[in-house]
Amino acid sequence: MAEMLRFNIDKFTFQVATDRWYSNEGVWAKWEGMHVVIGLSDYVQQRSGDVAFVELKPAGSLLNQGEEVAVIETIKVNISLPSPVSGRVVSLNPEIEKAPELINQDPYGTGWLAMISVPDFPIQAQHLLDAQTYYEKIKREAEQETRNNE
Amino acid sequence: MNNGSKKQRVVIVPCSGIGKTYGTVSREAAYILVEDIRPDETQLVALSKLVMGDEEAKAIVSSHPSITIDGCKLACATKMVQESGGKVAKDYAVLEVYRQYRQYKPQGIAELNEGGKLLAQALANDIAKEMDRLQSEPDGGDNG
Repeated sequence: MAEMLRFNIDKFTFQVATDRWYSNEGVWAKWEGMHVVIGLSDYVQQRSGDVAFVELKPAGSLLNQGEEVAVIETIKVNISLPSPVSGRVVSLNPEIEKAPELINQDPYGTGWLAMISVPDFPIQAQHLLDAQTYYEKIKREAEQETRNNE
Repeated sequence: MNNGSKKQRVVIVPCSGIGKTYGTVSREAAYILVEDIRPDETQLVALSKLVMGDEEAKAIVSSHPSITIDGCKLACATKMVQESGGKVAKDYAVLEVYRQYRQYKPQGIAELNEGGKLLAQALANDIAKEMDRLQSEPDGGDNG
């Protein structure tokens, strides 16, 4: 199990898995050799609410970094998720369409979205945030929002 | 269809969440069921009464099977019926129902949009069917 960075805001605890990279939009990318597994960060899933539906780009799709890889409909919002990497979609989480609640229940594990073939991830990762940087970014955002609401 | 036998009254306990669309859908569905579809076989109990420990409400849920309608995963309605000594014959989550009726996307809080109203109607219809099933069982759904 991945180690987590954590912070609390009000009654919520947000976690950031330390073994992967993050886009500014909160899509994580975990390098596993030739492939990168992607999913939604705990912060984004908690803020977006319970997921009702997920639509993913089909296996075989070629994506550029920043292109839409998934659309997630939650009880609050519809979110278009940009791919954190360029590459070809190799496979999709076979459980996620039938059980989209996995994104809420286990965002860094069984709630993964897709696996993308990325031969040059170390180069692409230069455009992503490491876990500590992402953690500091969202903590700052959440604290600022709390102050604004006070 | 009423076959002449006395049916067990079913208690309906919807979510009491204010300010959330799915909570509103749960209450609208409960009103449709209790006022229009099954007025003689259902009784609405406000979740807030159970939260406050109202003795009359607790007595009702502890002596009849309940159907709960939760607006979110906290499942307050289901938990409070159980904590009040009641038996939950069937629990519904609005999100799960919406997944079956994606064409009815609910929006609005004080007043639901058309999708929300249709989703509430579909949910009420589903619960009515479930009531028919429960009441056809020998113990009338009181199988806890």
